[in-house]
Amino acid sequence: MAALVRRGRCHVYGDHLPLDEGIMPFRLAIQRVNDPQALIPHLFEGFDPGFRERVKPGDFIIAGRDFACGKTHIQGFIAMTALKMSVLCTSMPYKAMRRAVAEGLPVLVGCEGAAAFAATGDEIEVDFSTGGARNLTRGSVKQFPAMSPILRELAASGGARGALTAWLRDHPEQAAGETVKP
Amino acid sequence: MAAATGAERSAGGLTAAQKILARASGRARVEPGEVVHPRPELVIIHDGYVETAYEQLTALGYGRVRDPERLVFVTDHEVAYTTPRAVERGRSIRRIAKSWETGRMFDVGRGGHGHLFPMENGLIRPGMFLFAYDMHCTNFGALGALAVGAGPEITTVLATGTLWTIVPHTLCVRLEGVLPAGSHARDVGFLLAHGFAEGTWNVAYDYRVIEFTGPGLQRLDLAARVALCSSITELGVANVLFGAPPPGIDTAGAPDFLSDADAAYEARITIDLAKVEPQVALPGGPERAAPAGSVAGQRIDHAFLGSCGSGMYQDFVDAASLMRGRSLPDGVRMFVVPGTTETARRLADDGLTQVFLDAGAVLLPPGCGPCAGGVMGPLGSGEVSISTAATNHEARFGAKDGAAYLGSPFTVAASAIAGCIVDPRSFRGSAR
Repeated sequence: MAALVRRGRCHVYGDHLPLDEGIMPFRLAIQRVNDPQALIPHLFEGFDPGFRERVKPGDFIIAGRDFACGKTHIQGFIAMTALKMSVLCTSMPYKAMRRAVAEGLPVLVGCEGAAAFAATGDEIEVDFSTGGARNLTRGSVKQFPAMSPILRELAASGGARGALTAWLRDHPEQAAGETVKP
Repeated sequence: MAAATGAERSAGGLTAAQKILARASGRARVEPGEVVHPRPELVIIHDGYVETAYEQLTALGYGRVRDPERLVFVTDHEVAYTTPRAVERGRSIRRIAKSWETGRMFDVGRGGHGHLFPMENGLIRPGMFLFAYDMHCTNFGALGALAVGAGPEITTVLATGTLWTIVPHTLCVRLEGVLPAGSHARDVGFLLAHGFAEGTWNVAYDYRVIEFTGPGLQRLDLAARVALCSSITELGVANVLFGAPPPGIDTAGAPDFLSDADAAYEARITIDLAKVEPQVALPGGPERAAPAGSVAGQRIDHAFLGSCGSGMYQDFVDAASLMRGRSLPDGVRMFVVPGTTETARRLADDGLTQVFLDAGAVLLPPGCGPCAGGVMGPLGSGEVSISTAATNHEARFGAKDGAAYLGSPFTVAASAIAGCIVDPRSFRGSAR
């Protein structure tokens, strides 16, 4: 089982942050832009204009209830995954959580009190296998619910695409051009 | 989600969803919040996604799916090819079916709506677990089957034979009383969707199984249950199940598919059916419910009977009861879309098709009809529609600036004849 420990700076937001126009401009979703490099400059553009200058690879999003609500367009998740970001939130719609993990984005839901644990700019380290979090800026610790081992493995190994690649490696009989063994 | 303790795991009754998911996962018992890998008996994909799934798996190097014998292709989104691209898509789907050795292929004109005909021809059975691409597979809950809409992750099911699934909590909705004349299960669904979205009962509904129980179930036939399943699905519920099988459905030999009397529901609410009035869903979504009378007089251009939510035989019986001997007014076009080829045959045999044709309606082939993006019978710019479609989000039937209302078969039929939205109860009063 792959370990999943991440360290980075926080960007702290409130409740009901929508995918469309909150995390990513809607126009990029309807244009089905899937190139991370084209998406990254627009991440949180409409909601937090300073994000683009502030964000560094490996950073955390800390959000409240109903994170990534609205239609489950994946462009925001593609950009966050490419930046090796992670999410801690109080809750997010089930379908959005599935799509995030399927894109390879580690998310911890059920993180009550996360906004009080860290402020924007704080550096934190989170072990997704235990839910243990350390605020390195403040020197404090906080226990959140752990990420399911199955979801953690999926997020750590490149999401659904990574899992399908691994499956085919283990099941060569399903590869194109292979014949079924009797 | 909180994990159950060891003591809880070995005690207490189970919900229907727990039982079905445990069986499909090869487990004696599963708890809400657990991640499981259930193995489906069937995997259903409609004509709108077969090519995409094939392209994605082919790009990764796949030539074979894991369980081709369980795979079912249905054709309901674009049934009467209206473009050269649609003809090519059909040809491509047939090639893919052959390449993947797909177990069952229901081509154009075979079967009809993939969320309806599998309940008629015996493919879907009570207690079954299956995956489908489309979220409205929740319809199969009307028959006691648990179907999970995998969306784009259906490729993982195709490749690996399963997909991680979190065991959902179940919300119990007890139905009491009897629906008044003119009211329909669809109205109950709209009211529930509205109440969930507005927080009327302060209960969680995101990824919850909504399980209907109580004495009010007794008079809800399969079509009424399908209407309930469909009307609340777009809210993001996990599934819709029932505490008793539909009247007249033989469940002999079926595995246990009903919740235990002491099942641990997450929450319970009660609905008095006797108080349910005809509703419409205002443009924007099924949860935007309002009493039909509140928008009475709204002019309409377009009406549509059918879709996965209201495409069963009884739905057309209900509509025909208000349309017999009447004609659509000038300027109103109406599309009637039997859900399945079997329903189309029965409607013709029983003279109901003629009722709609005599009124001036257009009969379309079994399938989704205008609800699949308006590829057939679309809504034009600035026009107003009332229909029994599964949803009415922006541009669902074509034009972005069209206004799409939803209603029950009673409300749609009455409104089509009136040329404006009406409460079917008032319309009933003036019927010949």
